[in-house]
Amino acid sequence: MMPLKYPQMELAIRKTLPNLGVELVDVDGFTCCPDPIYFKARDKIKWLTIAARNLAIAEEMGLDVITMCSGCISTLKEAKYTLDEDPEAKAEVNRRLKKINKEYRGTAQINHAVVLIRDTLGLDVVKKSIKRPLDGVTVAIHYGCHILKPSQIMHVDDADYPSILDDFVAAMGATPLDHREKLLCCGKGCMDEELPLEMTETIFASIEESGADCMGLVCPTCFSSFDLGQILISRKKGKTYNIPVIYLFQLLGLAQGLEPEQVGLHTHRIKADKVLEKIKESAKA
Amino acid sequence: MAKEKIKVDFRFREKLNKIQGGKHHNYCYQCSACVAVCPAARFTEEFNPRVILLKTLLGMEEALTGEDSPIWLCTNCYSCYERCPQDVRPIEVIIALKNMAVQRQKAPASLAKLSENIAQTGVSVTVTSAVSRRRQELGLPPLKTIPIDELKEILEDPQSVTKDDK
Repeated sequence: MMPLKYPQMELAIRKTLPNLGVELVDVDGFTCCPDPIYFKARDKIKWLTIAARNLAIAEEMGLDVITMCSGCISTLKEAKYTLDEDPEAKAEVNRRLKKINKEYRGTAQINHAVVLIRDTLGLDVVKKSIKRPLDGVTVAIHYGCHILKPSQIMHVDDADYPSILDDFVAAMGATPLDHREKLLCCGKGCMDEELPLEMTETIFASIEESGADCMGLVCPTCFSSFDLGQILISRKKGKTYNIPVIYLFQLLGLAQGLEPEQVGLHTHRIKADKVLEKIKESAKA
Repeated sequence: MAKEKIKVDFRFREKLNKIQGGKHHNYCYQCSACVAVCPAARFTEEFNPRVILLKTLLGMEEALTGEDSPIWLCTNCYSCYERCPQDVRPIEVIIALKNMAVQRQKAPASLAKLSENIAQTGVSVTVTSAVSRRRQELGLPPLKTIPIDELKEILEDPQSVTKDDK
């Protein structure tokens, strides 16, 4: 499942995963996951139904689902957990699915691409695919909430001391940098004007203090909070941070020797020039 | 000093019990572990998950699912779910409360906008011409057609979010 809002992320996935030996299959009939916040707030049973329909399609094909987005994995994993746990919800969802000759059974597994890489492929496969190690590039990782929590459903990592993204970035040759607000929520799911901005600004200040060259993440919704978010903050609060926000598969693409345009970095509002220069220099050395 | 009687609206709680995720509100013993990890509570006093659960236990329907309810300030981060020792899953209770607010047509107008696309088109975000152009420019394959008829069948009744929503 791909995040639709940011085609550059899909591009980065399509360019980098084949280098790790992954064959991508585009599935007919999928809808959006659906989103784990707004449609769920409207009607949870309908939200479960749409998610279950997607899972039923994967089940029919005997495929597991790989998502590139923290929101998609959150929705699909929670839907699976809920339907497997709550027979009433499952009966209602399957009553609806029966009308289109589909059934949710619960046989397909769901994972984010970073989990597939860590657990199935192994980080050595990442290291072997690197042509231009990102030596000297420091990355402040933003985990984002939905890939980690609740850990009893997500089964991805320790929600308080995660390492999966740090290890992924390190395998590319870059240096993950800790900062105080590494695990703070980006605030996007909060339906308020001010609160999300205060939260993102707290994170920017923390990253600025860490001195990292860029921010690295795997969630498109967080990306929007931080890339567009920096423009909003400089407009509303008069403070400019200029921290490039890079989707980790774009970073992987750069390390695999792709040009910035080939992973769509030119589409970002905060330009990554400083990081790109650093990569060029370390390639020369 | 005369003690004020505490009234509990059990009918509201029974209604909440029937909504997926709502039943777990019964397990809350008000320990505040959720507050300690809640980012919304960190940034505003208007939002406090323990207080929301207390009001839920008391059955305060209007305070929770009326137009001025604080539930919409939840950031949906799942930290409370992670931390709660009672398996209350506060965020899921809050989502059940949101579902009730929608049924009462008391949800914020912005929710209608943010949630209508998926039922209409099968995708959560609007596929703008800018997105389509960018896909072309980046050499990405065109988007697959989504069987909207199937979606309409399984969603059955269209539901409005606010009074003004169609």
